[in-house]
Amino acid sequence: MNANSKLKRMWSDKVLYLMLLPAIAYFVIFHVWPIIGMKLAFYEYRILGDNVYVGFKYFKDLFSTPIFSKVLANTLIISAMKMFLIFPFPILFALMLNEFINGKFRKAVQVVSYLPHFLSWVVIAGVWFEFLSPSTGAVSSLFKVFGLPSHDFLTDKDSIRWVLVASEAWRSIGWDSIIFLAAIMGVSKSLYEAAYVDGANRWHIVTRIVLPHLYIPMVTIFILNVGFIMNAGLDQVLNFTNDAVNSQIDIIDTYVYRVGLLNGQYSFATAANLFKSVIGVILVLSTHFISKKLTSKGAW
Amino acid sequence: MAARRFTVSKLLIGIVLTAIALTMFVPIMNLIAKSLSNPDKVHLLHGYDILPKGFSLINYQVVLSNPIVGRALFNSLFITTIGTCLSLFFTTITAYVLTRKNLVGKTPIMIFLIVIMIFEPGIVQEYMVVKDLHLLDSLWAMVLYRTINVYYLIIMMRFLEDIPDSLLEAGKMDGAGHMTMFWRIVMPLARVPLLTIGMFYAIARWNEFFKSSIFLSSRENTVLQVLLRQFVVERDTTTLVGAVDLLKNNHIAQLDSSALKAATIVIAMIPILMLYPIILKYYTNGVMEGGIKE
Repeated sequence: MNANSKLKRMWSDKVLYLMLLPAIAYFVIFHVWPIIGMKLAFYEYRILGDNVYVGFKYFKDLFSTPIFSKVLANTLIISAMKMFLIFPFPILFALMLNEFINGKFRKAVQVVSYLPHFLSWVVIAGVWFEFLSPSTGAVSSLFKVFGLPSHDFLTDKDSIRWVLVASEAWRSIGWDSIIFLAAIMGVSKSLYEAAYVDGANRWHIVTRIVLPHLYIPMVTIFILNVGFIMNAGLDQVLNFTNDAVNSQIDIIDTYVYRVGLLNGQYSFATAANLFKSVIGVILVLSTHFISKKLTSKGAW
Repeated sequence: MAARRFTVSKLLIGIVLTAIALTMFVPIMNLIAKSLSNPDKVHLLHGYDILPKGFSLINYQVVLSNPIVGRALFNSLFITTIGTCLSLFFTTITAYVLTRKNLVGKTPIMIFLIVIMIFEPGIVQEYMVVKDLHLLDSLWAMVLYRTINVYYLIIMMRFLEDIPDSLLEAGKMDGAGHMTMFWRIVMPLARVPLLTIGMFYAIARWNEFFKSSIFLSSRENTVLQVLLRQFVVERDTTTLVGAVDLLKNNHIAQLDSSALKAATIVIAMIPILMLYPIILKYYTNGVMEGGIKE
């Protein structure tokens, strides 16, 4: 197609481009504009007059600040804990649900377990604070039955990260199992029948027939999760944090928010944010292509 | 022997699944029970109780007649309804354009969208953009913010690609323009994805908390999730009960503040619980029914 006929086609499709205009305007204003604005990381912010170019000054400052190394470590630790520890549970959950086909029981478990995925972290925090309350909570009531002393997990530095992992698992186990359940249901019935004829028991069927069918979603989801390792869960941390434990769960996002918007160190905070965004892009892109290569399924 | 082992393992699995479901069911029901309990008996409620002790709607009356909560509830509903309608309209119309065959410039636009999807803008810059648009502390900031989710746009595009060309060709023969075809043919056909995606947009908007807390600073423009955080995380009982009632130390001030908090949490959950059956119906039904379609 030469340039002329391209222009002609564009002219005849002018209504289509008009229909596209609001979306383009939206993306430019709310995405492109702030992304370009991140060049502030290389400038000293001035309220009056032009910002002054300072090169990599703020990045040097950033990497010499011990707090930044701490929040970077916190981010990676919390993400890695969530990634590795939660990963098996939706798979096991799907396998267990699969033992109850078409039952009311299965449906009830699904209805209850998918719900937390749709609750905001504020609501989840409200539910969990009651749940873990050392005086009246269900967990401390259970502890009492076993003769254990009640414990405030929310203000304990050693347990707060586990609370984050547990509440994330609580929120996502049901919903994240859907993709595995769908894959299990895709297994052809004739495979099961053939296996039964050959004298296989339930365990053989799960390990030899069902699990291999879960390989592709497992690999895809695990790899894609690596792409989001810089996001340790801002909303969750903001709602579970308190002065006693903040040092353990202060992550890059909360740090940028505090330094940038609360303390007004715009350039410095932008440098931290740009570092996070760029690493994020590199990770998401590389994990996308790795996943695409291994399983032919990517992030989009 | 084999048959017996099978039932025992099934029983064990059933117990594990029940236990997992109970960790979700009990705490949520417990909050609901607490909010509905008689104020005189609420102290008798254990953490594992799922039924209220006595029955009273006083906590809801107090919370809903609190002008600050009422205002926040209204703001949340406003942002969620207007925002979801805008999101659906612009997502679908954009998906329609991008699924037209031979559209010149489609590839660069798609690359642009993918870049947008994976490059997160800085929070300081987002704040500055909203400030430059003079939308700080305006509900419209939250309505316009995240109008189009690229991921949902791609889902909508996949659906529209499946609409047979013959339907649109017939429209074209009748002399319908793109706008007419979009309204008359595409929108009615896209009912199911519109409902599904609309549900996800609505829930994301209703649950949005961090950006609301940054963009909306005044008390009149606060939203329910931000106010709820003030009650739950910052333990602000003065606003929750109402300063006037606390000063008077009247019957409202005597109420258990944790029951009032529970009522506010339940109010924040109600829209989700109302939309939940629709989500199950349109999104997860295939997985819920279980059977293998062959």
